[in-house]
Amino acid sequence: MANTACFIIVGRNDIPIYEAEVGSAAKLTPILSIWQREDAAQLHQFILHAALDVVQDLAWTTSAMFLKSVDRFNDLVVSVYVTAGHTRLMLLHDSRNEDGIKSFFQEVHELYIKILLNPLYLPGSRITSSHFDTKVRALARKYL
Amino acid sequence: MVEPVNSSFGKMLLEEVSPVVMVLCTPLVEETFLKNGLSFVETLKPFCNFRNIDVPVRTSSDQLYRLKKFTLRLFYASDIRQPNVEVAKQRLEHVITQAGEKDFQDLKFDPPQITDILSNPESEIAPSWFQYYNKELIRTLSFSDHEAFDHPVACLLVVSSKDEEPINKFVDLFNSNRLPTDGTMDPNILKHYLLVHDNQDATTERTSKVLSEMRSQFGSNECNLLCTNSSKEGNVDHQANPWASFKSSVSADKLGCALTGDDIVEQIKDLMQEFASRHIIPYMEQKVRELNQQISATRKGFRNQIKNLWWRKGKGDGPDVTKGSISNEYASTFEDYDIDKAWKHYAGVQEMMGLAYFISDQSKKESEYCMERAFSTYMKLGKSGFQNALRCGLWWAEMLKARDQHKEAASVYFRICGEEPLHAAVMLEQASYCFVLTKPAMLHKYGFHLVLSGDHYKNCDQVNHAIRTYKSAISVYKSTTWSHIKDHIYFHIGQWYAIVGMHDVAVRNMLKVLDCGYQSKATQEIFLRDFFDIVKKTGMKHEVVGLKLPVINMSSLQVIYEDHRTYASQASALVEESIWQSLEDDIIPSLNSGKSNWLELQSKLLPKKYKESNVCVAGESVKVDLEFKNPLLISTSITSVSLICELTTNSDDLKLVDNEPSSSSLGPEISTEHNQVTTSGFSSFTLSEVDFTLGGGEKNLVRLTVTPSEEGILKIVGVRWELSGSIVGVHYFQSVPVKAKTARGRRKNKLTPTDALKFLVIKSLPRLEGSIDHLPEKLYAGDLRYLVLELRNKSESPIKNLKMKISHPRFLSPGNHEEELTTEFPDCLKKGDEQNIVQHETNRTSSVFAFPKDVSLQGDRSLRWPLWLRAAIPGTISLYYTIYYEMENVSSIMKYRTLRMHYTLQVLPSLQTSFEITPSPSRLQEFLVRMDIVNRANSGCFQIHQLSTVGCRWGISLLQPVDTILPSKSLLAGQALSCFFMIKDCRKSGTEDEEIMSLPPSQTDVKLFTQDDDEKLFDIVSSPLASFHDSERSCQGPSVQVSPNTVDFILISRLAKSSSPSVVPDLPKILTHHSCHNSIRSSSPLSWSLDGPQTIHHDFLTSLCEIKLKMVIRNTSEGLSSVTINTNDCLPDAAAPTSSSGNQSGWRYVPTVTEEMKLTSDVMGSRLGKPPSSMESSPPFIWSGLSSTKVQIQPLSTTEIPLQISVFSPGIYDLSSYKLNWELSEHESATSSGTCQGYPYYLTVLQSE
Repeated sequence: MANTACFIIVGRNDIPIYEAEVGSAAKLTPILSIWQREDAAQLHQFILHAALDVVQDLAWTTSAMFLKSVDRFNDLVVSVYVTAGHTRLMLLHDSRNEDGIKSFFQEVHELYIKILLNPLYLPGSRITSSHFDTKVRALARKYL
Repeated sequence: MVEPVNSSFGKMLLEEVSPVVMVLCTPLVEETFLKNGLSFVETLKPFCNFRNIDVPVRTSSDQLYRLKKFTLRLFYASDIRQPNVEVAKQRLEHVITQAGEKDFQDLKFDPPQITDILSNPESEIAPSWFQYYNKELIRTLSFSDHEAFDHPVACLLVVSSKDEEPINKFVDLFNSNRLPTDGTMDPNILKHYLLVHDNQDATTERTSKVLSEMRSQFGSNECNLLCTNSSKEGNVDHQANPWASFKSSVSADKLGCALTGDDIVEQIKDLMQEFASRHIIPYMEQKVRELNQQISATRKGFRNQIKNLWWRKGKGDGPDVTKGSISNEYASTFEDYDIDKAWKHYAGVQEMMGLAYFISDQSKKESEYCMERAFSTYMKLGKSGFQNALRCGLWWAEMLKARDQHKEAASVYFRICGEEPLHAAVMLEQASYCFVLTKPAMLHKYGFHLVLSGDHYKNCDQVNHAIRTYKSAISVYKSTTWSHIKDHIYFHIGQWYAIVGMHDVAVRNMLKVLDCGYQSKATQEIFLRDFFDIVKKTGMKHEVVGLKLPVINMSSLQVIYEDHRTYASQASALVEESIWQSLEDDIIPSLNSGKSNWLELQSKLLPKKYKESNVCVAGESVKVDLEFKNPLLISTSITSVSLICELTTNSDDLKLVDNEPSSSSLGPEISTEHNQVTTSGFSSFTLSEVDFTLGGGEKNLVRLTVTPSEEGILKIVGVRWELSGSIVGVHYFQSVPVKAKTARGRRKNKLTPTDALKFLVIKSLPRLEGSIDHLPEKLYAGDLRYLVLELRNKSESPIKNLKMKISHPRFLSPGNHEEELTTEFPDCLKKGDEQNIVQHETNRTSSVFAFPKDVSLQGDRSLRWPLWLRAAIPGTISLYYTIYYEMENVSSIMKYRTLRMHYTLQVLPSLQTSFEITPSPSRLQEFLVRMDIVNRANSGCFQIHQLSTVGCRWGISLLQPVDTILPSKSLLAGQALSCFFMIKDCRKSGTEDEEIMSLPPSQTDVKLFTQDDDEKLFDIVSSPLASFHDSERSCQGPSVQVSPNTVDFILISRLAKSSSPSVVPDLPKILTHHSCHNSIRSSSPLSWSLDGPQTIHHDFLTSLCEIKLKMVIRNTSEGLSSVTINTNDCLPDAAAPTSSSGNQSGWRYVPTVTEEMKLTSDVMGSRLGKPPSSMESSPPFIWSGLSSTKVQIQPLSTTEIPLQISVFSPGIYDLSSYKLNWELSEHESATSSGTCQGYPYYLTVLQSE
């Protein structure tokens, strides 16, 4: 299994509605040696957050939902999938398994739609369903 | 877009990449010029920029072209060498440190708004020292060996006229070892000879002589004379000092003080102009051509590096000149380098080409491509090429910036970060500014790169810069919900502020990371530890409004206060107001009653202000319940939790109240003062303080109290607490809706949240305290207890007119007088304790119990009043009772108060009884009672003690000895028991004389135990039992239409000693079980019996047998009854529906009649099966005598009717074939009628021997 770092679903207004550290933690690059090991989560958030700019640009240039890898930071690559409602599924990883990532995104998208269909779920609010969480992690193991 | 040449980068290039002239001069020359405070080079510098030189040149491909602008750079030969890297590095560091110190003052300001950043003009976004830094960085690379940016194209040899042997000096100058020694010098460099004449102290004759010598020696074109210092006095004042901008160290006035305008204009300017246009430009032009030819001639194997450098030099410094031809020529050369693997040179060429393309504003792509290739080639060279790559990158980035390609520029900056943190930090910061400049601005990237840069700054101890970058980043991330990002930034900037000693700012930033429940425990610990460290360093207690640790659950806020309603316990305060209100309806004087006329109304009603706020009494505390929750995983100690209150004493009466709302919009500062007031001890109120420790994720509901001691307006503003003894958190309640439970329903809607926390404090009043001693929480159903209600009034002023109302009179019954019981509880109820047996008052119809009028409480005297408790039904029961009392001689708003008490009982099931009463078949007025007892308790055995009938009407007696009923003496859990009794109607009709009565009329109790024979029975007419029975009666059945033939039973039991005491804490003494309205099963108002012989011997051979019978009929009803007796001779058809007992006639099996059980079941009839079919039906008997008789029976009297039957053969006969038709007329109008089937009556007739 490749080193896959972090999966985040970003709702509108750039608010993260789901976060999961999937796979093994990515190695930290020397440039960021000052970042502690436990800061990995923070670094991941920073990278993904910074990639939002690029996604913003790219999302309107293509009709495809899967934007492939949009940004990179040293060894880490950001792959993004934008849903029709402009919810962004962002994956930070360092492998090049594009097909797997695409399948992963598509299935997570389906799960996300199921969440949306729940009348008790307020769109844009944090996804707290443990069922969703386990499913996503299972998908990550399967495809990434 | 600006033209490349006019962009700042273009200008910089033109300035920086220009021909260098090496200057060699004698010390005397320097001396001459130092008179002006300037060195020779410095003197000439301002005149090296030519704006309109207008020299015709030809490019290598013979195109004619006029050069308009030209710049020369002058350097002493000693300076032409590569600078020391270490020194350069130190200088760079110094630049950064200085800039950091300059910014230091700005650090404490809040981060700018992101919109402000975007609206700033481009030039202001990045700090100005970046330009300087970049310049310094490039300078560290000057005079490198593989390229020609800084290599001299010409050599200027200067000798003073005062020198000895000036001609030799010229030769010596050039030949001395002062020349650059890097081996790249061209010995055939263009040389120009200059003689300096100082007008102040040299003679013109010698000068002109030397000049002519020079001209003959070096050629007249190459020699010039420069006369300076024409001003004898040396105090020339230059209007626009040309040197001012070049040298700032000396005061500008002194510069050039000995140089007159003539010196400048005619001598220096002309000299430089001539030198440039006559010598340098033509020389370079010629050189370019030469090289060009050389290249085309020896394309391959072109190894002359120096020549090549020269050649490139030409291109670089004459950008305009080389416009067209550059690219071709470069293209051809770089192939050579490619082949020769001279990577450094190759990269240099590429870099040069890129710049040239840029300056000539040609093919954008080409120039970028060149730069890219140059950059990557330099990078390939490893460490040695890095500095070059750096410069190349910088230029590349500048180039992209000039073309508004900021995003690409940013990525270039990112690539030249390198490993040295300080350098990387600067580059990353520059990259971040590029992201702001892109359209649209890429703020996320901006923030990210700022953070990266800040981390690098921190790594090389440039804390000021680190803070500056993070501060800018905060403006990006301020509103983000990406929690890790936010925590990282605020935590680190907080730490850094602490490093530079700005502890207050540090604390302010750190506060934002405290609510970090989602972080790992380790992180939380780090956060908290650092936070408290910093707070400790500040040495003062910070007061923080809106501290997030712990989190206050505002919806849990509950205010409990007492106005006229007082509460005995916490539990009673939480009971819904409506329950109390409905309970108190009867006893509280109604407000409406006072509205008899308007005058009275005015005086009675409270002022409006009073009505709008809640009322509390001075000296009595207002309680606030608030829930604190620890969001972290670490346990936190919270101390000194107290309310923040204000008390406005209304010495100016209500005027103050009017002003008061204006101060309700408290700013933080104002309330700070309030806190000081409260803590300093001057207070008209006292506050409680609570300390507690919250474990990870724990919640704690805290009760806070404030006790006003003066009249006025009390406002609860907020709550404050100390976190780990070092920081004070403050929370204001204002904007939050408050659940003021005790506020009255109809007023609640009008109350704003602030009002709910505002109280009118009135003069202190007596307050009654009450409690019930030893009230059990768990008991068995039927448990009867004796309790004492203790009331206490601590104040001096007396209270009177006490009334009490109880929500469940079935459970609680107040005693009748204050005195304590003289004997121990259960015994006092027993018969024989005559002094305590009080006939219960039947007038207690209402549930309000008024204490005697003379009861008045004051001065800590307590009143103990007996209370009887009986657990009537199983389940969880809430008992409410409220005590109303009035204050004596208090002229206050409040005339009365109520004390509300609330208890919850858990009643466990115990014995359940049911009774069945059937008329006795043999005796009139006697009834059989079957009592079924089931022990419903989960555990616990009961002993039954006594069964009593209520009232004087029914006498009761045992049918069997006690021992046979319950041999084990106690009833185990789940055990059921049936036992039988006989009851007898003891009513007497006035007229009749009862002769068959066997029991004394007062015998209404049956002892059901055998041991302790001396123990007395309980007297069920004693006050608690009787009154409880009354309420049971009203609860258990219809109280209105009491059927006359009902019996009430009271079963008294006690807990067997063997049962475990764990279920019910204290053992019940006695349990009473009331069963009311048990009606007699038969519904007819008649009872009768057939009297006659049971067995008759007769000789049927002689005659038929005639038997005389007597029927005794009793009218049990209150009305007059007429009865018709119909005898029926014919054997009823078995199938006839009219006869329900048809099957029972004739022969049947007669058991030995010994068991009552059987008998009763027979009496009950219908359960009998058919008689055995093998038995033949007997020949019928004949009712002889009257077939129908009608009699009138007076109420409650008996009559006898003679009957006769004739029997023809021996056998057993059932004499039930008769009917009684009765008609009852109680009143004139109401009549009822019915038919009774005859009882079975067996007559055995035997053949006599």
